[in-house]
Amino acid sequence: MFNVEKKNINLGFMPLTDSAPVIIAHEMGFYEKWGLNVNLTKQNSWATLRDKLHTGVIDAAQMLAPMPIASNLGLHGQESTVISPMILSRNGNGITLSTKLYQKILAQHNTNEISMPFSANILKREIDERKKAGKKLTFAVVFPYSCHHYQLIEWLKNSDISPSDINLLIVPPSDMVPSMDSGDLDAFCVGSPWNAKAVREGVGITGVTSSDLWENSPEKVLGLMCDWQIEHPETTFALVSALYEACQWLENIPNRFEAARFLSRAKYLDTHIDVIAPSLLGSCLTLNNSSPRKVENYQQFSTLGDPAFNRPAHYYGENIAKLMHASGHINAKQIMNLDISSIYREDIYQAVI
Amino acid sequence: MKKNTLSLSKKNTLHQDVTSKLKVLLAEINHVKAKALMGVLTNGQYDIYHIAHSGVPLLRDVEQLNPDVIIIDIESPNRDMLENLNKISQFAPKPIVVFSEQQCANATINQMVKSGVSAYVVGEVNQTRVKSIIDIAIARFDLFQGLKQELADTKQKLSSQKNIDKAKRWLMETKQLSEIDAYHLIRKMAMDNSQKMDDVAKNILSVASIF
Repeated sequence: MFNVEKKNINLGFMPLTDSAPVIIAHEMGFYEKWGLNVNLTKQNSWATLRDKLHTGVIDAAQMLAPMPIASNLGLHGQESTVISPMILSRNGNGITLSTKLYQKILAQHNTNEISMPFSANILKREIDERKKAGKKLTFAVVFPYSCHHYQLIEWLKNSDISPSDINLLIVPPSDMVPSMDSGDLDAFCVGSPWNAKAVREGVGITGVTSSDLWENSPEKVLGLMCDWQIEHPETTFALVSALYEACQWLENIPNRFEAARFLSRAKYLDTHIDVIAPSLLGSCLTLNNSSPRKVENYQQFSTLGDPAFNRPAHYYGENIAKLMHASGHINAKQIMNLDISSIYREDIYQAVI
Repeated sequence: MKKNTLSLSKKNTLHQDVTSKLKVLLAEINHVKAKALMGVLTNGQYDIYHIAHSGVPLLRDVEQLNPDVIIIDIESPNRDMLENLNKISQFAPKPIVVFSEQQCANATINQMVKSGVSAYVVGEVNQTRVKSIIDIAIARFDLFQGLKQELADTKQKLSSQKNIDKAKRWLMETKQLSEIDAYHLIRKMAMDNSQKMDDVAKNILSVASIF
């Protein structure tokens, strides 16, 4: 047990399937077990979650893996030394095309079916056709400094499609499906459960997941302010311990359905279990009324008995910084000045797990 | 001819800046809240537009309207979308003034404002308070834009100074002029052709590159 300096903690999260660790630690009493009383506060935008962490309105937050790096570089407003002592999840994103676009692609290729996961090659004819008419396909991601953004760009680049060949918007996760339904979006890259929602509603088809693109790369991390951690070292240890236990609990497949039930509650995702459960069970809904595709590790929270899974190793941070550089978010000088091991803090993680 | 058009259009922009009202977009789904704020802000200084939808339709309206200021609630999911407009398009950055009914300590508000949130109005929508906070937010934004412009101007000045120096050196070497004479020659050419010294220097350098 730790001698916690601060028992009452405000922890911010975004309503997504991979907020499971922070929610399960609460529902299963792991925070309490480690001497903490955690108040989970649901946030509606990443920007607000970030500002609240920077200013101490919340003590800790579930963050997109690139966010601590973006904060340290001051890519949005003031430079802030955010650290991450732990990886909370890997994978969980998917790329969904609108049903309308998919039907058109099928017709263009004179086929009834395209095998999945598919490459962005299937889009080329439509992109060319639109180019002739001076138009582009419209894609959306949830935040600029996000794995979603980098995954989408990579998927396109793998097929020699330049990001300038498409329109790219930032759209909040909860608005993705309605925006696609109204014809404003041709495709999006978003985290669970929103891909599954698009499929269930017949609005879109999910043809590729982040697991198909990247090999188990970190998706969400625990974010703290560096000063806060220095003032509360034991509390940080307790928090990491409780979350580690939640991640381990989530690795048990029978527990996953129980997790889906918790997540569907109004105070968390406020979404039907039909939409939340599949990805947690390794099932990727593809087309409405079709058999789902099995995707190993669609949502990954730990590897049973292997603490390395949640360790925020500096090379993950370096990889993310490279992706940020490749997509023009940061320049070579910023990369050179980055001290990743002071952001991705494996030392804290290893001191406790 | 080309030069004249340029300077004229610059004058026009300046003129416009002084006289036109600020376009304020209020992105608020809750009509009651929106109405209260509209009431506070309606005066001679601002043109207020209220948009109640979210997602892509909101984005489209923002692009069409091209507002100077966007006011959005801190708890709105649309915040990410509007705040990152400039990262995905050529959109100029705009201050986003956020407000919330949540009770929040003054120190926190100050922190938030420092960390990039333009302003943060808390509690009841109080007439004088909201107006003054938004005025301050806009002033801060103008100051920031001013500093950015100043930096760009300084960079421009430095680079023209470099061009003039280079042209001067070339004249000194090829025409055997003293430094003062070379400088006077560039200045005279600029005056005769009513061009900037930087432009004359660039012309000289492009001629120099041929030899």
